[in-house]
Amino acid sequence: MTSSSARSAPAEIVAMLLADARLPVAGHTQSAGLEPALADGMEPADVPVYLELRLATVTAIEAGTAVVALHHLRAGHDLASVVEAWTARTPSPALREVARHQGRALLRLLVRLWPHEPAIAAVADLPAAPRAVVLAAAAQAGALRPITLARIVGYDDVQTVVAAALKLTPMDPADATAWVLDAAPEIEAMAERVATLTDPDRIPRIGSPQIEAWAQAHAVSTRRLFRA
Amino acid sequence: MPDSTRSLRLGVCGPVGTGKSSLIALLCRELSGDLALGVVTNDIYTDEDARFLRSAGVLDAERIRAVETGACPHTAIRDDITANLMAVEELEADFPGLDIVLVESGGDNLTATFSPALVDTQIFLIDVAGGGDVARKGGPGITRADLLVVNKTDLAPHVGVDPKQMVRDAGSVRDGRPVIALSRTDPRSVAALVDWVRGRLATYRAGTLEPADPGPMAPHSHGDGVVHTHAHAH
Repeated sequence: MTSSSARSAPAEIVAMLLADARLPVAGHTQSAGLEPALADGMEPADVPVYLELRLATVTAIEAGTAVVALHHLRAGHDLASVVEAWTARTPSPALREVARHQGRALLRLLVRLWPHEPAIAAVADLPAAPRAVVLAAAAQAGALRPITLARIVGYDDVQTVVAAALKLTPMDPADATAWVLDAAPEIEAMAERVATLTDPDRIPRIGSPQIEAWAQAHAVSTRRLFRA
Repeated sequence: MPDSTRSLRLGVCGPVGTGKSSLIALLCRELSGDLALGVVTNDIYTDEDARFLRSAGVLDAERIRAVETGACPHTAIRDDITANLMAVEELEADFPGLDIVLVESGGDNLTATFSPALVDTQIFLIDVAGGGDVARKGGPGITRADLLVVNKTDLAPHVGVDPKQMVRDAGSVRDGRPVIALSRTDPRSVAALVDWVRGRLATYRAGTLEPADPGPMAPHSHGDGVVHTHAHAH
């Protein structure tokens, strides 16, 4: 059985689908780096600051990469330069590994949802495409606008942190959800910053050595709940 | 119908501490002489189970993969099985010709069973030390897993449980499905377990193994007087 209606699904519904935690891409195994941050002594009250830090650094790189990859898919350009730009901006091997792992999980789903979409076939041909690039193929299949794609990357990152916070440092989930809404202006600012990018060289290049160090420490930890 | 050129995927689930890792180590020891095996573990908080199996030396370390479940062991074997499917598929790709991939669930409660989209057949494990009444309490794994193992029967005298009664209780709720009372120190029980696994592999290779869902729900009726178990394929 294959889906024939996916191509004509309204873009807004595709966007909601991609941003939904129930999307079967093993999202429940991810904490977006929160677990090693808390393990290293970051205060739970600082989660909103952590969200801002990510949106300004690693998440902006992910969103920028996704937007530029979408442009390349639409223009029929090769994706190698996009993957190369992302790799150069993601110096932590642990972060690269987890992004490729998540890319594989998402691709597994997309092949089933849009079996005849050329953008998805193009991404499937890449050796170990990172999640941001795979997500761009989903955006092409669902006819999403670049800014919508960037918002999804930002929103998903924030929700991943906050959902993991509820597992790692339980609190009233209403307070945690308020963090998500409070981060909306930063998500939107980040999305607007990257939405018009087309050139891999213009993808944001502001890393976060602290987040990278935590990711590296987590990858060799023998006590962890989350994959990353 | 699964593609029977790939490995048989065998799930092992049951509450924490009932002996899932030991049972898998046992199966590896008994079967690795003539069958090519792989293992995927789902640890709750560590890669402890994977390390236990690697250190047991029953299988090459690279044939044992750990999946982190983000404190959701139930989700990882039931509603979003993506992480486990990827680990199984990677093992099968890295070691072509695997006969069986054993998938160990993270220890959970009595309602956790595998999705038939992840495993072809499954063993549910309880033990005598968990109390003589566990089998009577039922639950989808106890009543409808393809095989129920009552483990650690050698401990029965020390915990005041009659293993024969436990097996009778289990049999009474399982509608004829098999139950094995297992002790590592009882070669006959080990042989019965190994025979069951080989039998499932033969059925799978013959193309007649239909993965069944033990279900999260107890048998129930919809007011039409017909009892549904949802153990069938929809």
